[in-house]
Amino acid sequence: MSDVAISARRLSPGAKAALGIFARYGTIIGLLAMVVTFSILSPAAFPTLGNFTNVLNQASLAMIIAGGLTLAVVVGELDLSIGFAASLHGILITGLVVHDKLPIPLAVVIVIALGAVIGLVNGFIVTKVKVNSVIATLGVGTILTGLAFAYSAGVPIVAGVPEAFLQLSLGRWLFGIPNNIIAMIVVLGGLWLLVERTPLGQEIQAVGGNAVAARLAGVNVDRIKILGFVISGMCAALTGILLASRLGSGTASAADSYLLTAFAAVFLGSATLRDGEFHVLGTLVGALIIAFGFNGLNIFGAPTFSQYVLQGAILIIAVGMASLGRSLAER
Amino acid sequence: MTRGAPQPGNADEMATPFLVARDVAKAFGGTQALKGVSLDIAPGEIHGLVGANGAGKSTFIRILAGLNHPDAGRLELDGHSQEIGTPQRATELGMSFIHQELAFVPGMTVLQNIMLGVPKKTRFGLTDWRAIARDVTPIARRVGISAPLNAGVKGLSTAEIWLINICRALVRKARLIVMDEPTASLAASEAERLFAIVRDLSASGVAVLYISHRLDEILSLCTRVSVFRDGRSVAELAGDALNRPALVEAIVGGAIRDTQRTGATRQRGDVVMEAKTLARAPNVRGVSLQLHAGEVLGIGGLVGAGRTELARLLFGADRPDSGEMTLMGRPYAPASPAAAVRAGLGLVPEERRAEALFLSKSIAFNLGIANLDKIAFGRYLPLMNRSARTSMAGETIRSLSIKARSASTPVGRLSGGNQQKVAIGRWLQRTPKVLILDEPTRGVDIGARAEIHRLIRQQAESGMAVLVISSEPDELPDLCDRVLVMAEGRIVRELTGQAVSRKAIVEASYVEPEALMEDHPA
Repeated sequence: MSDVAISARRLSPGAKAALGIFARYGTIIGLLAMVVTFSILSPAAFPTLGNFTNVLNQASLAMIIAGGLTLAVVVGELDLSIGFAASLHGILITGLVVHDKLPIPLAVVIVIALGAVIGLVNGFIVTKVKVNSVIATLGVGTILTGLAFAYSAGVPIVAGVPEAFLQLSLGRWLFGIPNNIIAMIVVLGGLWLLVERTPLGQEIQAVGGNAVAARLAGVNVDRIKILGFVISGMCAALTGILLASRLGSGTASAADSYLLTAFAAVFLGSATLRDGEFHVLGTLVGALIIAFGFNGLNIFGAPTFSQYVLQGAILIIAVGMASLGRSLAER
Repeated sequence: MTRGAPQPGNADEMATPFLVARDVAKAFGGTQALKGVSLDIAPGEIHGLVGANGAGKSTFIRILAGLNHPDAGRLELDGHSQEIGTPQRATELGMSFIHQELAFVPGMTVLQNIMLGVPKKTRFGLTDWRAIARDVTPIARRVGISAPLNAGVKGLSTAEIWLINICRALVRKARLIVMDEPTASLAASEAERLFAIVRDLSASGVAVLYISHRLDEILSLCTRVSVFRDGRSVAELAGDALNRPALVEAIVGGAIRDTQRTGATRQRGDVVMEAKTLARAPNVRGVSLQLHAGEVLGIGGLVGAGRTELARLLFGADRPDSGEMTLMGRPYAPASPAAAVRAGLGLVPEERRAEALFLSKSIAFNLGIANLDKIAFGRYLPLMNRSARTSMAGETIRSLSIKARSASTPVGRLSGGNQQKVAIGRWLQRTPKVLILDEPTRGVDIGARAEIHRLIRQQAESGMAVLVISSEPDELPDLCDRVLVMAEGRIVRELTGQAVSRKAIVEASYVEPEALMEDHPA
């Protein structure tokens, strides 16, 4: 319990209830408030279907990788390799399509399989070799960065990218909805179903909640943790593929910054609806907050640096408010 | 209410109580943890506090310690109304708290541990440990700390750590020491020493608020006892009115009577599980046993005798170094708890909050986690059947009479007894062949204890083989058909039928294991 919490004593029951609500719904209220504020300030540019679609389209890649990361943190581990992995995947798929002339579906399958293998390696190092996940995934991520530079010889793969590959992320194959958004909805929907509505998801939640108890209740804890890493790795691969398609090139370290965005979304999400627990729906809300925040600032022409300041500040404020609200409401 | 019952002891002391609490109330969320409790403690009094789990004892202590703030009511110290507010303020006001989980830092010395969080003398801006040691030595001697002050605390017994906590309270010049279940993890001889210290503190004018489920201790130590039930102080007993039946009556509210020993009346079936010279260094050193269908087999012995470690071997949580096991006549070598569960075992571990439960999750989640095969739609539709899970939880809540608002209540909000029922109920849906319960009623109130015992007997009567590990003196004779006593990693005695008694178990627990190895049937 913090000193701030101690000094604020003797809250009325009404104030406690309000704080409890704020701790759970604060992020959603914040998201709505932000959307309303931007809409009032910029009625012509912000609250349009075109802009909202654009924001979602932009944010989809971050949402996919953050959705994967959610699975790793739900099982109680961290995966710092995802950004570096996504960069490697982007280069690799471009190389497979441009240099090796592989059919695009096959290249996609190969790269996503590689994502699963990277997750498997992470999971194995963490559960069997028993290396702390921060160290293990940071190490693996650094190796992947090296591999990305080795594969591309440090030069981006730009020339000869086929139009069909660009259409992976630029296309609107279903009802005119951008493919990125469809992919995001399918991935997050699938992950939500897995965690919240399947027996396997119960095991995933159990391992994150109390690994010792999960083991003694007959859950294979190592297997579940490895699964979390594998899903995280596959989502990173998908994000890497879509990013390469959107950029029309494979560049080492192109996706590195997704690591920070994904962590911000996941931790914002943990302050949403549930008391400090990670969950897929929360991650979605967290990613939306970041996306709309960036978009609003862009519309007002705010400089790039302010967007990073905003992202960091929102994260600390939201998670801080939620945890303060909880501890005050408990007193 | 018998507040204002005749008071014992000396009238001066009673005239100016050190602590007075009046109608203190506290709610957490929608749960009214304290509805109004009152008590007062005179200087130098040993005041007992008893009550079922969930009666509000912990909340009351947390309020005294400044960790929670009462919603209503009044607290007076030395006749002045006080708002305690913070743990620091509680210390300033002369109160010290010794919790069940003792506060100490393993890497530090005895003296550093005694001075933990206590303002220290300095010299030229540096902590003057010499001067501190001079001041602390007489206090340490008085409470009987035998280890040198500059020795590390690593390797000290629980009792010695406890003494360090007492010493810390005295260094802070505490006038009231609150002790929460102080003997829960102490051996009998250590407990005797603790009682002597408590009486000595009392004689020197330090008041003690003594919280325990062990009524014998309460009766032998305390001059007055307050009883909490359902968030209220329902009785204050002293003098002739202070006796075991009266305490039990007040705790339970007249609902449940003492249980009868029904051991040795069940028909025992075939051998379900067998272990042969099972060993895992350093705690299990060659254990052989047979477990029959339809029996409750007890494992007695002192804390540290290797009982929990044995249970973990049987359940696949650890792998044995040597020895073998059979289950239903077939070789059994579980690689993990998951394998043991598939083979038909269930374990209710010793530390329910740390090892059994998911506190922030619902009752339905906690019950469902061991029964995922029963709440799936099927092999080809890997979705969870939530209504099946809810109805399974509802059934368990009803049949075990778990007190909760609904199946979606987080387990962390339940009282200890109800939490334990969830930990047990998880396995009953599977009707395991073997159910192992490690300290099934630790920290559980009398009412819940009787219900859990009834439940265990029911399972045995329906043909399950039940293994119960317990350190509660009366539990095994109450519950078991047969008792194996462990000491130093071995089984040193088997007690059956009328030979099962508290005395026999305690005697065997203290016997040198080597002396009895020949007596024990291999």
